[in-house]
Amino acid sequence: MSLTGNNNYFEDFKVGHVIEHARGKTMCENDNVGITMQVLNTADAHYNEDRVKDTFGKRLQFGGVTISMIIGMSMQDTGENALRELGLDKIRLKTSVFHGDTLYAYTEILDKTVVDQDSGEVRFKHWGVNQDKKIVFEGERRTLIKRKPV
Amino acid sequence: MERAVLASKGNPYEAFSEGQVFEHHWGRTLTDGDSTWFSTQTLSFNPLYFNEPYAQSLGHPKMVVNPMLVFNTAFGLSVEDLSEGGGLFLGVDDCEFLIPMHVGDTLTARSTVASKRISKSNKTAGIVTWITEGFNQRGEKTIEFKRTNFVRFKDPEAVLAGLES
Repeated sequence: MSLTGNNNYFEDFKVGHVIEHARGKTMCENDNVGITMQVLNTADAHYNEDRVKDTFGKRLQFGGVTISMIIGMSMQDTGENALRELGLDKIRLKTSVFHGDTLYAYTEILDKTVVDQDSGEVRFKHWGVNQDKKIVFEGERRTLIKRKPV
Repeated sequence: MERAVLASKGNPYEAFSEGQVFEHHWGRTLTDGDSTWFSTQTLSFNPLYFNEPYAQSLGHPKMVVNPMLVFNTAFGLSVEDLSEGGGLFLGVDDCEFLIPMHVGDTLTARSTVASKRISKSNKTAGIVTWITEGFNQRGEKTIEFKRTNFVRFKDPEAVLAGLES
């Protein structure tokens, strides 16, 4: 029995391929307020609705949560067999996210390089959209992924 | 209530100067509950972050802390010093996960002001970029990234007048 899938090893990624990830997620208090407090982000625009009633109108989702959620929604398809996450780059937050918004994730495989006999590096571009198909986040990620067992 | 003095938090745009270093408060030990909850909450389905025997089968002593949790916690620890003064979070560049953290490790963070500038379009806030670094309990750097935010002016008229003079 294998704990991880057999279709997401280094060899399975084709440069230029674009993935629509199957699962979306509606953002709730657990997501935004939960993670904001968990990571000691003290900015109360993310958890004090009274404070933001004249500006955003409601609690603004912490961008770190949006980034993590979109990368998370891509993880089974792009990192279930990862040995290590290497880095992120060109992360841009394009549209504010609020409780009740639903996010979906997409990924393009930008390039890949063999590292050694056990692993290779894959560079992805991820982006996320809300329920109105507006881009909320885009960014690149580099990951070290297992090579297919022979 | 009438006698209360606001214990205000956060720094305005004017408080930052290039090269200035902030050693951030608190630190945080990242537990197995933290990594597991964060990973399942964000659909981050790599069992390295929530299955201990699996992590050990890949040579780790314990579960690996989800690197996105390391990123968010280093970010969170930096907020009071850097961005609690208000202004939107714009983006991150050159984020490197340098060495893995394992559950039970403790993260501390510090940041250096990389640059600051006035935005043409925003009359209430300028743009500041910081380099934030995170360290484990042995002082080894585990993460580094460059973050850019709008940061609200304390005195918009003075800042914008200084720009024109």
